[in-house]
Amino acid sequence: MDNDSRSPFSNRHPTAAASVLPTTVATDEASSSTRRLGRTEYTTIDGPLGLSPDDSLTYARRFFKLGFLCLPFLWAVNCFYFWPVLRHHQFQQSHPRLRRYLVGSAIGFFLFTTILSSWALTFAIGGEHLFGHVWGELVMYNVAEKYGLTGWI
Amino acid sequence: MEQDPRPKTILETCGEEIIRIVTPVSICMLLVVILVSILNEGSSSNDVVSFATMATIAYTENSSDSIWDKLKGALLNSLVFVAVVTVVTFLLVLLFYLRCTKFLKYYMGFSSFLVLGFMGGEIALFLIKDFSFPIDCITFAVALYNFTVVGVLAVFMSKMAIFVTQAYLVVIGMLVAYWFTLLPEWTTWVLLVAMALYDLAAVLLPGGPLRLLVELAMSRDEDIPALVYEARPVISDFGQNGGVVRRRVWREERGDFDENQRLNSGENERNIVDAEEGRVLGGDSELAAPLIQHINIRMNSSENAVPSENFSLEGIGLGSSGAIKLGLGDFIFYSVLVGRAAMYDFMTVYACYLAIIAGLGITLMLLAFYRKALPALPFSIMLGVLFYLLTRLLLEAFVVQCSMNLLMF
Repeated sequence: MDNDSRSPFSNRHPTAAASVLPTTVATDEASSSTRRLGRTEYTTIDGPLGLSPDDSLTYARRFFKLGFLCLPFLWAVNCFYFWPVLRHHQFQQSHPRLRRYLVGSAIGFFLFTTILSSWALTFAIGGEHLFGHVWGELVMYNVAEKYGLTGWI
Repeated sequence: MEQDPRPKTILETCGEEIIRIVTPVSICMLLVVILVSILNEGSSSNDVVSFATMATIAYTENSSDSIWDKLKGALLNSLVFVAVVTVVTFLLVLLFYLRCTKFLKYYMGFSSFLVLGFMGGEIALFLIKDFSFPIDCITFAVALYNFTVVGVLAVFMSKMAIFVTQAYLVVIGMLVAYWFTLLPEWTTWVLLVAMALYDLAAVLLPGGPLRLLVELAMSRDEDIPALVYEARPVISDFGQNGGVVRRRVWREERGDFDENQRLNSGENERNIVDAEEGRVLGGDSELAAPLIQHINIRMNSSENAVPSENFSLEGIGLGSSGAIKLGLGDFIFYSVLVGRAAMYDFMTVYACYLAIIAGLGITLMLLAFYRKALPALPFSIMLGVLFYLLTRLLLEAFVVQCSMNLLMF
């Protein structure tokens, strides 16, 4: 059931077929997977409303790669969305690639946030003592006034 | 396989669905009230913000005008606004008819980008100036960029975390509603009433643009590409569903796959079975005001055109998964009403909030009864305006006198 193929569309039909055809087989498979993983068979935080496992890989990879465009928030959303995968270690066996993307997103988010918040805190706490007159030029409310950014609403 | 020990009563499931709609509406209203109270402390309520937008194009209110003049001016403004909205909605129906869904989706992403980026940024700047928050421009730029891009993705992509999408829709509603509260007072009230009447006409009359849109979408069995808040559907049974239930905010592909899967899990998703009978669909309209280029002429009478937004929907309906869908236009106009009430006093806020929630409850009941797309504005706006007037004119005098004489309250 866990094909690492790249096109979500072609993957959906085999999965659908597996769950639609002989219902006894489908429920057996579902029940066995349920027994194996407990209630953690869903990879997204939305549970049954979320993505299928194959879609999950596509989306996790896309979010991971887009996050490199200076978007740590997207990494955070990625981790939030696939929280069950990050939290439960059973997914190490069943979805190793998915988990790797999520761990990468989490690490990236923490690193970026650490750097950004240390800069922001230094700026806020250091103030004029540390930066001199450059502080006045960098602080947002002065920049907004200088460029008239609040004039248009 | 685990199941609930006792089946959920209809009160629990219905109540849960109503709560899932009333909560975001309330949160949006609360945020707008907070914003209005914080940002309007400096300027008095009689201060007229003279900026030319589409809603004030016919008449700019002056505090020295007589009541009759103000009323006439406000009526004129509202007529112009409603006319523009009608034209743009018909344009939307035409585009939907010609199957330009991609274009509509991109346009929606673009509007969300404008609202979140520019309006969100400006309101953040107002807040920063008010509180003298020592944030530097680099951090601010990165934060705003992140916020905007993730918001556009959430609105644009159909498969994002439900909570994130819902949160961003509420934020977009809040930002547009705040912008509307900046309009002059009489114009705002008359505009609200005019939009309620327009909503009623557009959704229920046979030639109304929203009704055409809904019928088109139903006949093609597609979702309308517009900003609609869809509540999380209530799933009665958890474990038996073998596959993944797809929330159809935007349909990407359809086919036998959907039908089969839904039929198999039919008894669990009773709402989906209802949807299969082909009668339920989100009743949405797109409140569209065309995008005006931002002109920044730095003169004393700073004549600025605001990029007014489009994409909000009015109308309430049942989503394809049985979840209740409420258009973003409803969020916006409810919040505008409460925001305007907040500019007077908090007493009017409480009265209007209760009136709006009562109107929403009535609309939901009618929705359950009629099972077709209904306009969500009329009841709430009418009750809200009525209670605002009653509170301001009658209740306030009573309460103030009682408090002053230490009798009650």
